[in-house]
Amino acid sequence: MSAAYARAEGALRTVWTPLVLCSFMVLIWLVITQIVNQVFYNDEAEKYFLRLLIVLALQMFSGNSGILSFGQVAFVAVGAYTSALLTIPTAIKQFTFLSMPHLLKDWVFPAQFNALEGTIAGGVAALVVAMVFGIPIVRLVGVAAGIATLAILVAMNVFIQQTSSITRGTSTMIGVPQTTTMRTTLLWVMLAIVVAYFFKQSRNGLRLRASRENDRAARSVGVHVARERYIAFALSGFVCGLIGALYGHYFITFSYLDFYFDLTFLTIAMLVVGGMGSVSGAVVGTSFLTVIYVFFQRFEVNGIAGATVPSGTADVVMAVALLIALILRPKGLTAGREIPWPGDWRWLQRTRQPQAPPAAQAPSAE
Amino acid sequence: MIVLASSSTYVQYVMDSVAYGSLFALMALSLSLLFGVMGLMNFAYGELIGIGAYTMFYTERYGWFVMVLATFATVIIGALLMEFVAFRPVRHASPSTLLITSFALSIGLQKFAYMVFPPGSPRTVEPIPWLTNQFQVKGVLFSRLEILTWIVTIVLLVGMVLLLKRTALGVQLRASTEDFRMAQLVGVKANWVISSAFAITGFLAAAVTILYMLNHGDVRPNVGQGPLLIAFVGVVIGGLGSLGGAALGGFTLGVVINILSATLPRSIQGHTLMFAFLLVILMLVFQPNGLMGSIEKLRRKRVAQEVPRVAEEPAS
Repeated sequence: MSAAYARAEGALRTVWTPLVLCSFMVLIWLVITQIVNQVFYNDEAEKYFLRLLIVLALQMFSGNSGILSFGQVAFVAVGAYTSALLTIPTAIKQFTFLSMPHLLKDWVFPAQFNALEGTIAGGVAALVVAMVFGIPIVRLVGVAAGIATLAILVAMNVFIQQTSSITRGTSTMIGVPQTTTMRTTLLWVMLAIVVAYFFKQSRNGLRLRASRENDRAARSVGVHVARERYIAFALSGFVCGLIGALYGHYFITFSYLDFYFDLTFLTIAMLVVGGMGSVSGAVVGTSFLTVIYVFFQRFEVNGIAGATVPSGTADVVMAVALLIALILRPKGLTAGREIPWPGDWRWLQRTRQPQAPPAAQAPSAE
Repeated sequence: MIVLASSSTYVQYVMDSVAYGSLFALMALSLSLLFGVMGLMNFAYGELIGIGAYTMFYTERYGWFVMVLATFATVIIGALLMEFVAFRPVRHASPSTLLITSFALSIGLQKFAYMVFPPGSPRTVEPIPWLTNQFQVKGVLFSRLEILTWIVTIVLLVGMVLLLKRTALGVQLRASTEDFRMAQLVGVKANWVISSAFAITGFLAAAVTILYMLNHGDVRPNVGQGPLLIAFVGVVIGGLGSLGGAALGGFTLGVVINILSATLPRSIQGHTLMFAFLLVILMLVFQPNGLMGSIEKLRRKRVAQEVPRVAEEPAS
């Protein structure tokens, strides 16, 4: 084997997982838009991409740190509202936000951002909020972290609901320009996959994963656990903000109810079912549950062989799927593995040796 | 505190707040019991209230006695089923996995309720006039329901204390709260203790449901979610896993929220809950053992000094 060939193989191995996952995304996009091309499936595919983005953002923090966050959807909300405020045409803002404080009014009303600027602004706003909340969150583990992140979600929801001068409170946002198309979302998804994967493989990602496996051991070799978590939390918050903006510009009308327990539950279920530990897990979980969800939704509406199930079944099935996954495969479908290199079955052989690392799972589990 | 309020208004706030806080004391106590015994912060507790609310709605027409009995029965059975179906298989998992499990169970049951009881016709539990009618004593408004709430809370709290201190089950429960594995080693049956804890939870939940629903009335699939979130905060303020602390925390929080929502200026009144939840985050970081936990720690330190160590703590 020549040196050049080995180098090429090495390079390809480095980018193998994101390459396969991105190709998969392009494939889905091609099949849905070019071959199927029905309004229903286009819509579902778009929602799939948006949810996948949130799951990827969740994976960046929770997957690497092992601390499940119930609060990332709050940052999605920050992104959605920020971008909406900055992109809604001035004429509409003048009569929908009558009671906005003057300080904000002078600054927000004339703002006319385009889609990309709005999205970045949403990300930056969410980043700032995440950097504030991150300070206490990164010092907590286990149930305490779970409750604290939940507190972020609830506090943000109450804030949006009650601050009607800025967020229209319980009314829906109106006049948000529809700028998110499937193609732009696809690009963001591929970017998020690459960022999530290389963050996981990066120096920070490695330190963070070390702290996930054994907090004390990681500290003993000089990992500043709180700092690593903080970086991941901020990154995840930023990405959530970007997604929120995309989300807002796709659905056009949204309210505080769109960023609460339902979305949180769905994205957590997808991540846990797929396997928190890997980027592939996020993709596999989201794809798997979306297929089941859409299947049952169709079952509710159209029926199969004349039989239908009551409406709402799809939602119940999601919860049951998560429960089954937690009971039978708590590490998720991928058990924290990435896409294997073709023909590379070393991980399979390694599990047969007596000195196998305990983390390696039985191959039959795939 | 409030200079402007006349003394009767002041008494009124206190009376209402005490009734409101009592309910959260009971909820926080049951959440804390489960957390202590098996490390489970039970999200699905709200759905126990939901189960109770629907039972009340459907049995109301048969008279209050049947309604109360049926509510207790279904909620306790619901709690035991929850344990058996969802929590038993994951019992040995980490607390955060248990938290996700209960989250999944909670959302699943809510969605199931939406499926079985489709929205459309609003369902309400009719108030019982004898209980909810208010009467005035020296300028302070009372209802019999408020008084009933105090009595039930006091009876249940005293009952819980007696159960925990005076019975074999109570000793087993407290031992499991201290150290679950050690308790098993000295002969405490895990299944029995955990099932009992769930049954007690169900019992308290049923009492809370009846008192809460007679006051609020509106039956929705997610009726338990709001009170549950406040009770969560109460547990944290009282200290995770500390039984007395949880009751105190739930009570304090209920009282504070009620007083704040009556006295804060209207413009930020709605934000009361937001402040409560931000307080939780700070509390978890700076005072993770809660109000009671700090006292408990001091007590243990003193005990530890008196008793010579027999074995080293195992490395976790």
